[in-house]
Amino acid sequence: MSKLIDENEGAQYLYMGNEAIARGALEAGISLASGYPGTPSSEIIENLAKVAGERNLYVEWSTNEKVAMEVAAAASFAQLRSLCVMKQNGVNVASDFLLHLAGSGTRGGMVLVTCDDPGALSSVNEGESRHFFRMVEVPLLEPGDFQEAKDMTKWAFELSEELRSLVAVRSVTRMSHASGNVKIGKLPSTDKQAEFRYSGFILDPMEGIVGSAPVAFRHAEQQEKIKKVREIFEDCPFNTYEGPEKPDLLVITSSACTLYSREAINLLGLQDRVGLLKIGTTWPLPPRLLTKYLSLTDRILIVEEVLPFLEDNVKIIAAEQAKAIGVKTFYGKNNGTIPTAGEMNPDHVVAAFCKILNIEYVTMSSEYEQRAQLLGFTLVPNREQTFCPGCPHRASFWSIHNALQLDNRKGFVCGDIGCYTMAMLPTGFSTLKTVHSMGSGTGIASGFGKLGPFGMDQPVLSVCGDSTFYHAAMPALVNAVHHKSNIIMIVLDNSGTAMTGFQPHPGLAVSAMGDEVPAIDVAKICEAVGARVEVRDPFNLKETPDTLLELMEDQEGAKVLILRQKCALSPERKAKKYFEMQVDEERCIGEECGCNRLCTRILRCPGLFWDKEKKTARIDEVLCAGCGVCSYICPEEAIIRKEVA
Amino acid sequence: MQGGYEDLIIVGINQVGFKGRRSKEMDNQVQSRGQKELQEQVINAHLCVGCGACAYLCPYQVIYKDQTIVLHDCDLAEGRCYAFCPRTSTDYDAIRKALFDEEDLTLELGPIKGFYIVRAAGEVNRANAQHGGTVSALMALALEEGLIDAAIVAEGEDNFLHHGIAVTEPIDIKKRGKSKFIVSPTVAEFNKIAAGDAKKIGVVATPCQAQAFAKMRMKPIAGKESHIDKLQLVIGLFCGWALSWRKFTDLLRRSTSLESITGMDKPPGTQTVEIFTTNGTIILPVDDINTCIREACHYCIDSTAEFSDISVGSARLPESWEETKTWNQVIVRSERGQTLLELARSKNVLEFRDVPEGNFDELKKAAVEKKKGAIERLREKSGQPNDLIYLDENDPVIKKIMG
Ligand SMILES: Cc1cc2nc3c(=O)[nH]c(=O)nc-3n(C[C@H](O)[C@H](O)[C@H](O)COP(=O)(O)OP(=O)(O)OC[C@H]3O[C@@H](n4cnc5c(N)ncnc54)[C@H](O)[C@@H]3O)c2cc1C
Ligand code: SF4
Ligand code: SF4
Ligand code: SF4
Repeated sequence: MSKLIDENEGAQYLYMGNEAIARGALEAGISLASGYPGTPSSEIIENLAKVAGERNLYVEWSTNEKVAMEVAAAASFAQLRSLCVMKQNGVNVASDFLLHLAGSGTRGGMVLVTCDDPGALSSVNEGESRHFFRMVEVPLLEPGDFQEAKDMTKWAFELSEELRSLVAVRSVTRMSHASGNVKIGKLPSTDKQAEFRYSGFILDPMEGIVGSAPVAFRHAEQQEKIKKVREIFEDCPFNTYEGPEKPDLLVITSSACTLYSREAINLLGLQDRVGLLKIGTTWPLPPRLLTKYLSLTDRILIVEEVLPFLEDNVKIIAAEQAKAIGVKTFYGKNNGTIPTAGEMNPDHVVAAFCKILNIEYVTMSSEYEQRAQLLGFTLVPNREQTFCPGCPHRASFWSIHNALQLDNRKGFVCGDIGCYTMAMLPTGFSTLKTVHSMGSGTGIASGFGKLGPFGMDQPVLSVCGDSTFYHAAMPALVNAVHHKSNIIMIVLDNSGTAMTGFQPHPGLAVSAMGDEVPAIDVAKICEAVGARVEVRDPFNLKETPDTLLELMEDQEGAKVLILRQKCALSPERKAKKYFEMQVDEERCIGEECGCNRLCTRILRCPGLFWDKEKKTARIDEVLCAGCGVCSYICPEEAIIRKEVA
Repeated sequence: MQGGYEDLIIVGINQVGFKGRRSKEMDNQVQSRGQKELQEQVINAHLCVGCGACAYLCPYQVIYKDQTIVLHDCDLAEGRCYAFCPRTSTDYDAIRKALFDEEDLTLELGPIKGFYIVRAAGEVNRANAQHGGTVSALMALALEEGLIDAAIVAEGEDNFLHHGIAVTEPIDIKKRGKSKFIVSPTVAEFNKIAAGDAKKIGVVATPCQAQAFAKMRMKPIAGKESHIDKLQLVIGLFCGWALSWRKFTDLLRRSTSLESITGMDKPPGTQTVEIFTTNGTIILPVDDINTCIREACHYCIDSTAEFSDISVGSARLPESWEETKTWNQVIVRSERGQTLLELARSKNVLEFRDVPEGNFDELKKAAVEKKKGAIERLREKSGQPNDLIYLDENDPVIKKIMG
């Protein structure tokens, strides 16, 4: 049995932050969980899907985050508890519904978990979801360790029901993906009854209709909820203080920064000088609690990631309470003590302490640093971001790049988010020229495609993944077709949400819970929309560029090219190579004029390497995924493929 | 006649003191050049004639439509692409002297062993030809007689595009007569097939293509074998210019569909171009056509394919154009060319007629005009009176023209 549904109350488990959140939701007795895959959030839904049967849950990967939140809201409206999960930029996608849901209120406990990615370790942005919750007036909790991740999630449902409001729980990469000990609680019974009631008094929160109108009434009601939750937060056990009664410096922090701050205090032995106020209820802040701790000292350091959200809110309270607490000196992002971009770490906090408290502390001796740098340069292999061996995207972008070169009219590709974002790098032959949010490549292309009257004659292409197609690219395609925008939309269909670990999407005949569901065909949708549609195998390095070239000549309206080939890491392809590969060392001319290492210098599949001594290319049998692509590009036919029976 | 070229009479090269000069190529030997320089100096500088000498030597350069495309970057410091390209800096004088008999060299028209007016014997043999069918007849004869075992000619495609094709049967030569005024990358096809089974290859080449082959014959660079020794015959075409595919087809589409076009010609001495279509002939003013000329052609100094074994162009006769256009003027330049022409005479493959008076001077005049124009434009492009970009200002031919 999965440790996630262990009934042994009080047992301790090593949980990843995302598992702790999932466990918290299970202890809260959720019935429904929905989300859209996105690192670092994906494991929450994945884990819940695995125990869906045992815990009587409905779990789905929704088409996009907005739909995910709508699906979860339905369960809440039917008086069930529901969880909705996404990464930071997913909240942007969901934000329109979020605003309206905040206004309408909820019934069964509903919690939105957002996993932010400070430092953009797996993102193309350093988006901050915290501001959304202040903006739409929804309470926000941030766990500071793994136990809290579980406990807080569970409590968030109770809070949601008490307020009849959505409650947000924000995690970050280092909280979601690190692991720690968690003491588990009780799992409730799983028999739940759903009913949506709407026949009561129109304004009744549990029996009337659900909506954000009449706005003045609902908005006032919402603000009452915020007042109420502020009171609740005054005594919340997730806000804690540790340190001396009269510290020289008060650190106010939340989330993973609690761990960094604590480590920095211990490292410098500042337990007697620095107090640590850890806030679990980030918005709205409880003013009396803050006033109490701000009174302890005159110097305040606020440690948080990305934007100064906590800092701004603390300062508002300090200003309002100035008479009671006196004048404070604030250190944080606004005065440059804490960096405003990138991930935080204990070193940043150490540096802040040293600066504020005038302490000399060298995290690394200069000798050590020099030696580390030297070794870093000489011993650590230079790892560039690259597509996996046998990745269909490498082949797709090879053909796209070549077709654009051949066409010779300075055509370009607009991209968005997926593994294929890497095509802006040499691994994708630097093919992508714009990269924004999901589906944006096609939307932007749709605009470029209308600039002909202003003299733009460059062919305009866009790429999106199959999952992205359903998520946000469909409206852009409709726009392009409807407005006769001259674009070619390329759907890189690798049969799954590969980047985040093969979560199913509407194109597949299986759901998150493993049930059979109808698959929705990209080609049929595009045809129905009225676009000319071609489907090719990207491993066919002849047909793919030829088709693209022909589509580029056809200057009439929007066209769709679907490049269909399974991801190299997909369960099907991982199990089987298409080809056994070998390099004929006699034939390989390597660095000579006539080749100059096309395979290892330009194609750069990690399955191939350059043997400097022998001066020939070689196959790395362990890494090679047997796609056969390199054999098609070798001018000397030195890379030999043998079909695997 | 306007001054300048009249005094450029046929003289042996030795008479104007070409000897003892250091070649530009030698001067530059320390500099290494590869794809990067080719791209900067030729392709991006619009000097590329689309001959295809740099293409298919490796996976990096290919020809698409009539354009030379660099697919991926190559970082070799020295490459055959740069070395073979007729528009990278070249000492054509050294090549002339190496490949031809010095006493045959002329300033205006290159090496000359003889000048003739001929045509393919028998009307059927001219039916599918541009003019007198001489080129096709000679090439077919070379195949029949085993002088070559494969010939590269221009093969038409849809939409007015062409590519070089290697054929082995005389009948396949005759099927592919007529001039294609958009570049047909003959040298690219040679690069493609040279490693194959053919042992003796003949080509029909425009002047720039003949220049490329000549550079290749000099074996300027070590590397993967280019098989240039298989090149056994170059039949050159006279050439005023070639057209840019995109510009020209855009122009044509305004008056007819591309599918209906069967051929075109520029009658000498007129200011018009004839476009033959399935619905009759369309006459376009030459000014319209001029806007479609490939930019690189403006920098070309060769109108008679000086680096071929035998060069063929349209004739200029006192008779009507209808009659005239069934004849060719031919310059024999090398032993190989001479042998082939004599063979054609003895086998009655060609019909000969007397060269009308003044004909040869006319040709020289036209040749000098093209040279002058190109030199002027190269000077303009470089912004320096002595910088002719790819040409050597010390080349005696150029020196003479520049005055
Ligand atoms: C671009 C171009 C410009 C020309 N300009 C002039 C000019 O200004 N003055 C002049 O006198 N003559 C010019 N000619 C030559 C002329 O058009 C005839 O090709 C020549 O007179 C030979 O006629 P023919 O009947 O013997 O040729 P054919 O027997 O019809 O044979 C012509 C041969 O040339 C090949 N060929 C056709 N086009 C090309 C090409 N683009 N590249 C390589 N091979 C090709 C064909 O495949 C065929 O083998 C030009 C030719 C071309 C291709
Ligand atoms: S066959 Fe070639 S391209 Fe494909 S994975 Fe192996 S080495 Fe890479
Ligand atoms: S391999 Fe040789 S011919 Fe090809 S681009 Fe490089 S230098 Fe030029
Ligand atoms: S002129 Fe010929 S060799 Fe030179 S770049 Fe153009 S196609 Fe290549």
